[in-house]
Amino acid sequence: MADESGGIMKLMAEYDRRYVYLILFLVVTIPLLSPIGMPISVSPDTRQYYGILQQVQPGDKVFFTLNTEFSGYNEIQSGIIATMRVLVEKNARICFGVAHVEATSIPELILKAVHDELEAKDYQYGRDYVILGYVMPNEAAVAAMAQDFQGSVTQDWLGRPIAGTFLDEIDDWQDWDLIADFTTGIQTTSLLNHFALRGTPMIVNCIGVMIPSQKPYVDTGVYLAILQSMRGGAELELLIGHPGPGLTAMDAFTFGHYMLILFIIIGNVGYLGYTRNAQRRAG
Amino acid sequence: MTDIIEISVVAVGTFLAMSMFSTLYGKSNPLYVLAEESYIGFATGLTIIWNIDYIWKTGIVNIMGGDWVLIFSLILGAMMLFRVHPKYSYVARLPIAVVLGAQFGLSLRTIIFSGFTQQIQATIRPLFSGPTRTLLYNWTIVICVIFMLTFFFYTVEMEGLLGTSAKFGEYLLYIAFGAVFAQTFMGRLGLFVGFMQSYTIPDWETPYLIGSMLLVLGLVVYMDRAGLLEKLTPEE
Repeated sequence: MADESGGIMKLMAEYDRRYVYLILFLVVTIPLLSPIGMPISVSPDTRQYYGILQQVQPGDKVFFTLNTEFSGYNEIQSGIIATMRVLVEKNARICFGVAHVEATSIPELILKAVHDELEAKDYQYGRDYVILGYVMPNEAAVAAMAQDFQGSVTQDWLGRPIAGTFLDEIDDWQDWDLIADFTTGIQTTSLLNHFALRGTPMIVNCIGVMIPSQKPYVDTGVYLAILQSMRGGAELELLIGHPGPGLTAMDAFTFGHYMLILFIIIGNVGYLGYTRNAQRRAG
Repeated sequence: MTDIIEISVVAVGTFLAMSMFSTLYGKSNPLYVLAEESYIGFATGLTIIWNIDYIWKTGIVNIMGGDWVLIFSLILGAMMLFRVHPKYSYVARLPIAVVLGAQFGLSLRTIIFSGFTQQIQATIRPLFSGPTRTLLYNWTIVICVIFMLTFFFYTVEMEGLLGTSAKFGEYLLYIAFGAVFAQTFMGRLGLFVGFMQSYTIPDWETPYLIGSMLLVLGLVVYMDRAGLLEKLTPEE
């Protein structure tokens, strides 16, 4: 039987992938239900991001852009909420804009998550924050907002006029003190092209697959800082001393990575052993 | 205090999400089709509604405010709809041409910086000043870029020093691909962990998640064993 089937090595090389999925479900779910609290370190990138947030002054106008669908939000929500906490703590004035229809309800989730901080700082809609909703469907819309904000946006997400809010002070790209972009990649390049390259300060929290493509912009100074995926969000939570979804997810993250490494080793050892056995048998 | 609406949202959400994950079972099944079609329906509806809302806010409202030139954009947008009419579909070519032209115009002005010069600029680093760690990073980037670029010299014979450099560049590319794969896995795992977390926080949602997991797995396995998967799954 062992000779015919290739034995344990073949089993290691060709195991049913459904077991991998099943184990991944368990490996992720169990630590989420009972977190261990494994220690994490803070990367220089996150310290740089935190440093930029610390420079925000009371009354600064921050364009809080959600370039994400709902699935992507799950990955970067820790960074979004932690950033929002710092901005509220700094008394910044915040304008939410979204680039995907699925994200239109995300600003309310964020506001719900920082409800206590907003109340403590007496944040008022219009005076301190505005939700524009779906205002960045394409590059032309982003370019128009950079060039003539008042001409391209006149109402908030519920159809109320933005006249009379703090957005009266915004005419073009120069009037924003900071763009905090949270992205899976939808209109981030447009924001970069029409705001950051002109000189609007911009920080980015992106999903994991985008990090290699976004990092060069930090090195060249177009972005002031980058927060990397959920891991970056967890590190930011650690820095601001407010544990949230990022830190609780780190155990599941770590075990998920261990699992991947283990399966890569098992698969490769199995493949190597199986092919060598096959060659030996062939003579 | 959770109300019945919130509970219903979580119960339906977890069930549909787990049905979506049932594709990992490796066989087409009716639960996956139900979840997929539901998502497509909801997403299409949502997209239409929000885009109409966008047209209203940025187009109609501004036209009523006296910005008459926007009428042309509405006309062009309406012409785009002729795509669906077999006889008059050519009418849509004009707005498509305008959209493509405007998009190219906007992109070309800036993409040369963001997609080209900035990327090159990021590889030009100080090599003799700065902290040791930064110097190490900078040297690594510069050397790797040079070796990798030689791998892409197609018009010269790869021999001698150039051949060695290209070979070394090839191995560096393998390392880079490995790093990108790891980043991709981290990203995908992040999406998955984030999703699972959205149904484990707050605590009261967890039973619905676990229940949906077991229910969907049980149903799919039962249908598979009973030979019902093919029978109940609609054809694509």
